[in-house]
Amino acid sequence: MYAALLSNRYLTSRLIPFIAIAAVALCVALVVTVVSVMTGFLNMLKDSGRQIVGDVIVSTGIGGMPYGDEFVADLQGLPSVQGASALIDTIGLLRMPYPRGDQKEITHVQVWAVDPASLATVTEYANDLYWKPPVDSDAAQAMAADDPRRRLDASILHDGKTLTESRTGTPGIALGMHVSVGNARQRDGSYLPRYGWFMPDFDVTLTVVPVSSQGKIAEPREQIFPVVNEVQTGVYEVDKNRVYIPLKEGQRLLRLDEAPLFDLDAEPDAQGRYPLIGMTPARVTKLLVRAKSGTTANALRDQVEVAYQAFAARIAADPLRTATMPEFINVLTWEQQLRDLITPVEKEREMMRVLFSLIYLVCAGLILSIFWAIVIEKTRDIGILRSVGASRAGVLWIFLRYGFIIGVVGSALGVLMAWGVIRNINAIHEAIGSDAPQAIWIGTYVLSGLCALALIRAIWRGKLLAILLWLLGTSVLALIATALALHHGTLIWDPSVYYFTIVPDQVDWTTAWSTALGGVLFSVIGAAIPAAKAADIDPVEALRYG
Amino acid sequence: MGDAAAAQAPALLSARGVHKTYSFGAIPVEVLRGADLEVVQGEWVAVLGSSGSGKSTLLHVMGGLDKPDRGRGEICFQGAPIATTHGARLDAYRNRDIGFVFQFYHLLPELDVLENAMLPAMVGNWFPWLGTRADEARDSARALLESFGLGHRLTHRPAQLSGGERQRVAIARALANTPKVLLADEPTGNLDVKTGEGILDLLSERHARGLTVVMVTHDPAVAARADRVVKLTDGRVEVAFEIER
Ligand SMILES: Nc1ncnc2c1ncn2[C@@H]1O[C@H](COP(=O)(O)OP(=O)(O)OP(=O)(O)O)[C@@H](O)[C@H]1O
Ligand SMILES: [Mg+2]
Repeated sequence: MYAALLSNRYLTSRLIPFIAIAAVALCVALVVTVVSVMTGFLNMLKDSGRQIVGDVIVSTGIGGMPYGDEFVADLQGLPSVQGASALIDTIGLLRMPYPRGDQKEITHVQVWAVDPASLATVTEYANDLYWKPPVDSDAAQAMAADDPRRRLDASILHDGKTLTESRTGTPGIALGMHVSVGNARQRDGSYLPRYGWFMPDFDVTLTVVPVSSQGKIAEPREQIFPVVNEVQTGVYEVDKNRVYIPLKEGQRLLRLDEAPLFDLDAEPDAQGRYPLIGMTPARVTKLLVRAKSGTTANALRDQVEVAYQAFAARIAADPLRTATMPEFINVLTWEQQLRDLITPVEKEREMMRVLFSLIYLVCAGLILSIFWAIVIEKTRDIGILRSVGASRAGVLWIFLRYGFIIGVVGSALGVLMAWGVIRNINAIHEAIGSDAPQAIWIGTYVLSGLCALALIRAIWRGKLLAILLWLLGTSVLALIATALALHHGTLIWDPSVYYFTIVPDQVDWTTAWSTALGGVLFSVIGAAIPAAKAADIDPVEALRYG
Repeated sequence: MGDAAAAQAPALLSARGVHKTYSFGAIPVEVLRGADLEVVQGEWVAVLGSSGSGKSTLLHVMGGLDKPDRGRGEICFQGAPIATTHGARLDAYRNRDIGFVFQFYHLLPELDVLENAMLPAMVGNWFPWLGTRADEARDSARALLESFGLGHRLTHRPAQLSGGERQRVAIARALANTPKVLLADEPTGNLDVKTGEGILDLLSERHARGLTVVMVTHDPAVAARADRVVKLTDGRVEVAFEIER
C-alpha cells in the first residue's frame, strides 16, 4: 500500500514525470505515424495494383495473339475466374486541344485498346470513371459551385463505359485523370477544370505506330477521338500516362484487325487478284484475368497457363483455323507485373524500419536516462524506506509501478497523437504544401513581441532564469514566424514519387500496439534498473545521498 | 537500574566485538575496533563520544542498517543474532523490533506528516485489503502525533515544519510499530537547547512507560538524561559513569 501511495505521489508532485510521459508519447507517436504511412502506401499500391490489372496478366509479343476473344471466353468458363478481358497495350502520341507555345501540346501516352464491358469485370474501370453526375441533390449541394459535375447528366458515364460518344456514335477516348493539364486537384480531392479545359468538351488526336508481325514499323496512323470521360485509378503513374480507346479502333489503327487472307501460291485471276482463302483473325496483346475471392493470384496463374496450353492445342488441331497461337506467352501475377512499382516502396519501408529502429533505440535510451535521473534523485528516500523495514522488492515495486504508469499513459497519448495526425494527414500535408496563412505568422511575431516585453521586465527585475527563458521564447518564436513567413510550400509526398495523389490515413494498428508495448516495456525497465541498483546499496549508504 | 542488575538481566540488544572498517581507496580506516554494548530491557543508554568517533556507525550496525566487518562481531537481539545479510528477517527486524531516529529527521518529502508517521505500519502491512489494520495504524499514528502536539499539522508536508516538529514526527514514525528498542542518533543535535529539551522530555516520557532507548550524543548535558552513559573512544565502548537519581 505504501508502494502505491508513494508512486502516486512521485508521479503527481513533480514536473519530471510529465517530461518522461511527453518523451514516451512523442517517441511512440513518431514511430507509429511514419510506419503507418509507409505501410499504408504499400497496401494502397498493392490494392490498387490489383484493381488496375486484375490478378493475372497474360502478355504476348508485339505481334499479339489471335482468337483472344475465344480464349477470354474459355477463361470466363473457369470456375475460379471472376472475369477476363483482352486488350492491346501500345504507346502513342496524343495531341491535346490546348496550346504549348505556338502549337498544340503533344504528350506521349500508354494506349489501352479495350473492351470496356469485360474490362470492368476485371478491373475497377467502371468505378474509376471520374466524371459522373451527382448521385442526389445532397451530393450536388456538397460540390463547389463551379464543379462541372453539377451540370453533367448520366450520358457521360454511359459514354465512358462504352467508349462511344452517344450523341454522334463515334468511338471515344477516356484519358487518365492527369494526362491533361486541365484537371486541377482541389483540397477535398475533387477536380476543377483549369482555364476552362474541361476535357470531355474537346477532341484529341491519337497517333500510333503499327508494327507488323515481322517487326517492321509501318506508317504511323492517327485518329481524332472525342474525349468521353476521364479515369482516376488513384495510381499516379497510371493516371498520368494511360488512355483508353475501344479495342476495335485499336486493332484497326495498329493493323491487328481481321484481314482477308489470299492464297499467294495460286494463280492470280485476270485482275491480278489471288484467291481469297479466309480471314486472318484479329489480335490482342494482353489478357487480364481476375480471380474469384478465395483463389490466390499464384493459383490462378497456374490455371491460366494450363488453360492456354489446352486452348493452343485445340486451335492447332482445328484444320479450319488460318492462324496458330504463339508458342510462348508471358503469364504473370499482378505482383510480378508491378514489381517495378512495388519494389522501391518496399525497399523504402524497410529502410524506414531500420532508421526508425535506431530512432526507437535512441528514444529508449532517452527514457532510460530520464528514469535514471528520477530514481537517483530518490536514493535518499529509498534509504529511508529501507531503514523502516521496506524490502528491496517493495522498493523496486514502487518504481516498477511508477515506470509502468508513465509508460502506459505516455504510450496511450502517443498512439492518440499518432491517430490524430494520421487521420488528418492529408489536411496537414496540404497545409505544409501551401503557403502559411498570413494570420499565423503575424500572430507568431506578435507572440514573440510579447515575450520580448516579458524579457525586458525580467531584465528589469534581474531574475536570471526568467531572463533566460523569455530570451529563449522570444528568439524561438521569432525564428518560427520567420520560417513560416518564408515558407512557400513543399510537397513532402510528391505524387510522382509515391504514385498516389492522397496520403494513406489509416493507423497500422499492429505497429501501434507493438510500439506502445515497447514504450511501456522500456519505461518499466528504465525505472527498474536504477531502482534495483538503489535498492541494492545499504540503507546507510543510500541515506548519505542528498 | 544499577550495574549489578544490568549485568544479571539478559541483554535485550547487544553488540559484541563489533569491528567496522571503511576504506578510502587503499587506506583502510578502522572506525570500530571491537565495540561491546549490552542493553537490557527498559534501559536508557546514552553513547557519548567526540565527533567522528564512530557513534553513528555503532548505532547503524545495531539497528541493522549497516553490518559489521565480515566475521568480526555480531549483534544479538533477544539473545539471537540478527541476520547480517539482506532478507525478509532483517527487514522485519528494522520494521518491527527497532525504531530509528536520525539527526537529520529523514522524513519523506512527498508524504504528509500523518503518512510519514504511519510509514512503518504501512510497510509492515503489505496488503491494503487488510483494511482494519490500515485503519488501526492511521488511528494510532494520529493519536501519537496528537500527543506530541502535532494534531493540527497532520496534512502538512515536512518542508512546512520546524526542526523540532520534524524530529517529533520522526520519533512518532520510529514508534509506529511499537518497537522494543528506540535507537536515536543525536536526536537533538540539530536543535536549540529548549527544543532539544522538549524532544528529550518526550523520550523520557516513553522511557518511563517502558521503552528501551539507545541514544547517541556528543553532548554530556544531553547524555545526562539517560540511565547509563557509555563512552566511545578509539572504536571501543568504555563504561563511563552512571547517572545518580
Ligand atoms: N560510508 C563511509 N565511508 C567512509 N568513511 C565513513 C563512512 N561512514 C563513516 N565514515 C567515517 O567513519 C568515522 C565515524 O563516523 P561516524 O558517523 O560514525 O561518527 P560519529 O561519531 O557519528 O560523528 P558525528 O558526531 O560527527 O556524527 C568518520 O571518520 C567518518 O568519516
Ligand atoms: Mg554521527
